Amino acid sequence: MFKILLLALLLTTNAAIAQDRPAAPVSGFNPTQSEVQQKALLNGFDKILGNTTLPDSRAATLIQPAGPAWRDYRRSWLPWIAAAAVLGMLALLLLFFLVRGRIRIEGGRAAQTILRFGAFERFMHWMTATAWCILALSGLNIAVGRIVLLPLVGSDAFSTLSGWLKISHNFLAFPFTAGIILMFLIWVRHNIPGRLDVEWIKAGGGFIGHAHPPAKKFNAGQKAIFWIVVLGGGLVAASGFTLIFPFYFTDVSGMQIAQIAHGLLALGMIAAMLGHIYIGSVGMEGAIDAMASGDVDLNWAREHHSLWVDEKIERTRGEALKPAAHPAE
Amino acid sequence: MARMKFLCDAERCIDCNACVTACKNANEVPWGINRRRVVTINDGKPGERSVSMACMHCTDAPCAAVCPVDCFYTTADAVVLHSKDLCIGCGYCFYACPFGAPQYPKLGNFGSRGKMDKCTYCSGGPEGADDSAAEFAKYGANRLAEGKLPLCAEMCSTKALMAGDGDIIAQIYRERVTKRGYGSGSWGWQTAYKANIDV
Amino acid sequence: MLIKRRDAVAQKNRMLSMLGELSSGVLDRRAFLRRAGFAAGAVGLSGLPLGSVKRAEAANIDQSLPVKRVKAVCTHCSVGCSVIAEVQNNVWVRQEPAFDSPINRGSHCAKGASVRELVKGTRRLRSPMKLVDGQWQKITWDTAIDEISAKLLKIRADMGPESVFWLGSAKFSNEGAYLFRKLAAFWGTNSADHQARICHSTTVAGVANTWGYGAMTNSYNDIRNSKTMIIMGGNPAEAHPVSLQHILIGKEINHANLVVIDPRFTRTAAHATDYIRIRPGTDIPTIYGILWHVFENKWEDTNFIAQRVYGMDDVRKEVAKWTPAEVERVNGVPGEQLKRVAYMITHEKPATLIWCMGATQKTVGTANVRAYCILLLATGNVGSPGTGANIFRGHCNVQGATDAGLDVTSLPYYYGLAESAWRHWARVWQVDYEYLVSRFDDKKMMETPGIPSTRWFDAVLAAKDQVDQRNPLKAMFVMGHGGNTVTRMPEMVKGLEALDLLVVADPHPTTFAVVSERKNNTYLLPICTQFETSGSRTVSNRSIQWSDQVVSPIFESKNDQEVMYRLAEKFGFADKMFKNIKVNGKDPVVEDITREINRGAWSTGYTGQSPERLKAHMANQEKFDVVTLRGKGGDVDGDVYGLPWPCWGTPEQKHPGSHILYNTNLHVKDGGGTFRARFGVERNGVNLLAEGSYSLGSEIKDGYPEVTYAMLKKLGWAGDLTPAELATIQQIGGANPDTVSWAIDLSGGIQRVSIAHGIVPYGNAKARANAFNLPDPIPVHREPIYTTRPELVAQYPTMPDFRSFRMTNIGATVQKRAVDLGVAKKFPLILTSGRIVEYEGGGEETRSNPWLAELRQDMFVEINPTDASARGIQDGAMVWVTGAESNSKAQVKAMVTERVGPGVAFMPFHFAGWFMGVDQRGRYPKGADPIVLGESANTLTTYGYDPVTAMQETKCTLCQIATTI
Repeated sequence: MFKILLLALLLTTNAAIAQDRPAAPVSGFNPTQSEVQQKALLNGFDKILGNTTLPDSRAATLIQPAGPAWRDYRRSWLPWIAAAAVLGMLALLLLFFLVRGRIRIEGGRAAQTILRFGAFERFMHWMTATAWCILALSGLNIAVGRIVLLPLVGSDAFSTLSGWLKISHNFLAFPFTAGIILMFLIWVRHNIPGRLDVEWIKAGGGFIGHAHPPAKKFNAGQKAIFWIVVLGGGLVAASGFTLIFPFYFTDVSGMQIAQIAHGLLALGMIAAMLGHIYIGSVGMEGAIDAMASGDVDLNWAREHHSLWVDEKIERTRGEALKPAAHPAE
Repeated sequence: MARMKFLCDAERCIDCNACVTACKNANEVPWGINRRRVVTINDGKPGERSVSMACMHCTDAPCAAVCPVDCFYTTADAVVLHSKDLCIGCGYCFYACPFGAPQYPKLGNFGSRGKMDKCTYCSGGPEGADDSAAEFAKYGANRLAEGKLPLCAEMCSTKALMAGDGDIIAQIYRERVTKRGYGSGSWGWQTAYKANIDV
Repeated sequence: MLIKRRDAVAQKNRMLSMLGELSSGVLDRRAFLRRAGFAAGAVGLSGLPLGSVKRAEAANIDQSLPVKRVKAVCTHCSVGCSVIAEVQNNVWVRQEPAFDSPINRGSHCAKGASVRELVKGTRRLRSPMKLVDGQWQKITWDTAIDEISAKLLKIRADMGPESVFWLGSAKFSNEGAYLFRKLAAFWGTNSADHQARICHSTTVAGVANTWGYGAMTNSYNDIRNSKTMIIMGGNPAEAHPVSLQHILIGKEINHANLVVIDPRFTRTAAHATDYIRIRPGTDIPTIYGILWHVFENKWEDTNFIAQRVYGMDDVRKEVAKWTPAEVERVNGVPGEQLKRVAYMITHEKPATLIWCMGATQKTVGTANVRAYCILLLATGNVGSPGTGANIFRGHCNVQGATDAGLDVTSLPYYYGLAESAWRHWARVWQVDYEYLVSRFDDKKMMETPGIPSTRWFDAVLAAKDQVDQRNPLKAMFVMGHGGNTVTRMPEMVKGLEALDLLVVADPHPTTFAVVSERKNNTYLLPICTQFETSGSRTVSNRSIQWSDQVVSPIFESKNDQEVMYRLAEKFGFADKMFKNIKVNGKDPVVEDITREINRGAWSTGYTGQSPERLKAHMANQEKFDVVTLRGKGGDVDGDVYGLPWPCWGTPEQKHPGSHILYNTNLHVKDGGGTFRARFGVERNGVNLLAEGSYSLGSEIKDGYPEVTYAMLKKLGWAGDLTPAELATIQQIGGANPDTVSWAIDLSGGIQRVSIAHGIVPYGNAKARANAFNLPDPIPVHREPIYTTRPELVAQYPTMPDFRSFRMTNIGATVQKRAVDLGVAKKFPLILTSGRIVEYEGGGEETRSNPWLAELRQDMFVEINPTDASARGIQDGAMVWVTGAESNSKAQVKAMVTERVGPGVAFMPFHFAGWFMGVDQRGRYPKGADPIVLGESANTLTTYGYDPVTAMQETKCTLCQIATTI
């Protein structure tokens, strides 16, 4: 009897225990699934974003995975690109010089010069060029100075120098930008591409062979330089302004892109300008006069900008002509 | 030699900001510089989690890699520090850091941000003697030199933020996950480094 | 070697702080020169302008000077985290974690981790100030005390002592709070109050009326033993962050259920296992909804109820009305959710119920907490580890100040205001009872509860015949209390303007100083923080911690006790008031005040915690177990950390304190207890004493009433009293020594003998599910005064208009008018308020701390995305929140978040300095304005007061939010 009662007792208590724990309602949640999934958070965004009470919006980004990717670009890719742009270009120019030599004035120096660039044009060019040179060098220092220069001069000196170069870079951005705007305004009408340029290019521009295809104030090569400076320089300036007003226009992703664009475009410009500097100085006899005194040798002008010479003489009724400072032999 | 790391247990963090003000307290961090911050994901919804974030003292630190003047160094305890004397305030370390750790006193002014400041793992900087007034003025406290851990982790209200030798805190976290029966791996690793740490 | 030029701003601030330290005599000459030298050397050459290098502060250890390590207690919340201060030359230079404390184990929250800034005090009040024609003028302490006391005495003479309101503080130490109450008693009024009124006054009243004492029954640490934790009406992740250490660790170790019931999905809810959203103001339907399932399925603890609970059948009748359908209709919670909770609390035990302001700050606050207690009683979840009503108190010493009687309804330690209470304290204070009577208008006023802090301005503005005292309030002396903490701020402002005299004694000017158009007769007295004095404070779990002085009071600030002494001197009763308290110059010795408390606080068991025992606990923190709080070894062996009250008998008897209240598993000498026998022995033939339940080792194996001398004689134990004890009893009793009870026996003999025989001095009764002396003996749901469900008002109206605390309470009239006028249509959103982790209380102190202020720079309102898009409100936009009374409005930032449900808006209550769209920064004394200012939530809150305690209704009112006004 007792056993039956005990059994009954056990059965009833088991029945009571067996009553189920009510399930979690639909609106509840399962703690084992409550871990925030990193992958899910990144779907559709390039960052993991959250909330923070700090007013700085950057603080609300928990993780931005693009950072290490940008680091890879900067340490693995950029040095090679810079080497190609600078050293590669220098090597090409050296090769050209060895093969082609200096482009001489074939007709020899004339007894007259013709006014090519006035005072303001020259000022504008040199302001822009000087600024650009320092910008280029200081920029290269930011890009690869640590690899190239730091081992030579040591940490303290390099840091001090880099600090000054950074400041120069940031401030010279303004005269440079002003310069390219002026250049655009003053020279754009001479730089519109046309059929003449196609012919000029087909003729090798005089670099290959000794042809002297006709050209106006600026030939196709110079027009290319113009547009590289104005457009390339414009983009470099725009990305540069983004960089010197950090987070004013964009977030960290935008800053990374701006920095990459700035650097790569600038390196492209450096390569192009190395060519421009070469041809404007060592590479071509008589070229430097254009920007130095503004008066170029008449023969040189006839060889390289024949149409411009005629038009200039006619327009100024010969006023543009002057006797040469150094008489022809 | 110990490898010093941080780990914030997102299951315990309640966004109390003790870590933030402890850092301010220990290092006299000025207004506007946030060496440590707490970010809450999915605020107000089920699955909400908070994470305390500062410099993670990465083994292969992106900030150190991209610095134009190479002002970073890693100490014997694997703490990533930098020299404010060498820093030129260019801001590149912030672009590279997945965690947004570098802070700058100024914004704008033609990109002159001032000297970068960040979590030093409460181990000061390269200035002269450990624990000197000069070191404190520039970098804040040097608790590690006294055998102490960063104040943020020591004062965390729920012991969510842990600091110490990486192996030890990983072990503690592993034990917690086992005891709870749930929890993801070290939060943020996969996102920041595209690596998985099995816990 | 290049030297960096310091940032000019930083340089100037450093100079200012150095000068500040000099003026208070804090820096010694040697240190000043050293710092000046350092500054000069570094300024030197103008180096590279590459931005600023961080300036040096006094915040590092100078290796050449000795370091003093001081252990103090955080002055913010009631968790009571220990703080280690490293001090050099009277300057707090570094803060270290207090790993040894069993309560916080080194941890802090944002506020605790930044307390060092409080004694840097860059925005603190530096000297006494007087408002003259709207301008603040610096005056000396002597002038201030002279003028203030003269004006107060004049008002006393012309209007009577009841015309001064003494608003004290939950930030007082126990000694300060006790002294303030004593000051009011000697002044001749019971109108002395503090923040508990607006915080847990309903808890204290409701819980005490259920089972004896109205305090946390277990402790933060004990929650680690729970298997089910229900947090209902509390957000400890933001209000008591370090408590989450215990909650979450317990949750992990025990795989415990953490159920959060809250209108908002808070930071606490984010870590919960179950979250239930309810309509603000529907706590009783929720509890009864849970109980319905408990009773329906017969899951209640019948044995516990039979032995230890009175009146549960009356509750069953009420609960039967709250079917799942009715519950869902009223509070919006589906029945199945509550059934799950009912299952957990009865099957997955031990279970505990944790609450804070969400339960208390309502017109039904007292009834709410009683319903919570009833749920615990029905399920047998009181009086053992892991169970209990874990009431999380607010400020750092609100528990101690409440205990010390800074309450308009009582003298210290819950003796009440009856003649016997006054006679008891007259004996303790060693003053003539008749002298005390003479201080009051009459004996009747002496025994009448005073004006509560929630309605002081009503007592100012009321006509003479509307307030039950000789004259309305004319003056207010505020010591450590915020001005933005009461509802109906537009009315409060009128009250402020009508005062003849306003004195604010505080480390900061507070909202009182700026929110009104007062131009004169306003004084500010700089009081130092608790870090600049010493004293004991009681944390939420009733443990008492001794906080040592870290540095001397900075600038010209003085500690609370000294200011009270100076006033008492001027009032002419300093010699009587400080009869047994030594005063050094003008500074009372704190420990003497503690000892006076030990000599008088028999009713609450504050007698065993002598300063020596408390200091020994602080010195030996590492010996205490983190879960049981028991000490092991040395001086503190067997003690419970902090000697939580009741700590019976004299300090020499070394009672260990009571960790868990009402715990019959322990002998009373080890901290065990029973439910108090406060309410009589029987009622209507039903036995009110416990049946068959008694504490371990009790020689009476059943219930028993409170112990008196007569009872000891009846039990045959009177012979155990020593001759000295007997003499004291006979002296107190006079003609009737038999009536001398455990609570008024100054010798402690009755308590000692009771405990020796295993019985609890306050008796052994049943807890009352039916509290027959309260307006609602059984908790009954009543809709908030301002509700979005006006159709429910007819069935669940608020209490009919009544008179209490000397004034009328017209809650029912206001509720009816709101329904008739369709107020809910114009103000369709429920406005609730609460805490955020960065700030504390009224916020003047924390918003002046740059490390905290930076983290929350704007006042805001949380609004649900549905409500926001309906109003065209974007996240972060400035919006106008308008309230249902006084054309109130506030301009704040909108935070669009799903944290609040549709139809509910939330505002933090810590902000002040903006009022109805007007920036009041210019009104602060120069340099003493908090860094962050904002609109006060209480500008918008409305009428509604609990009938038992006059608690205001800040958790549920109505508002509208719009982009334009």
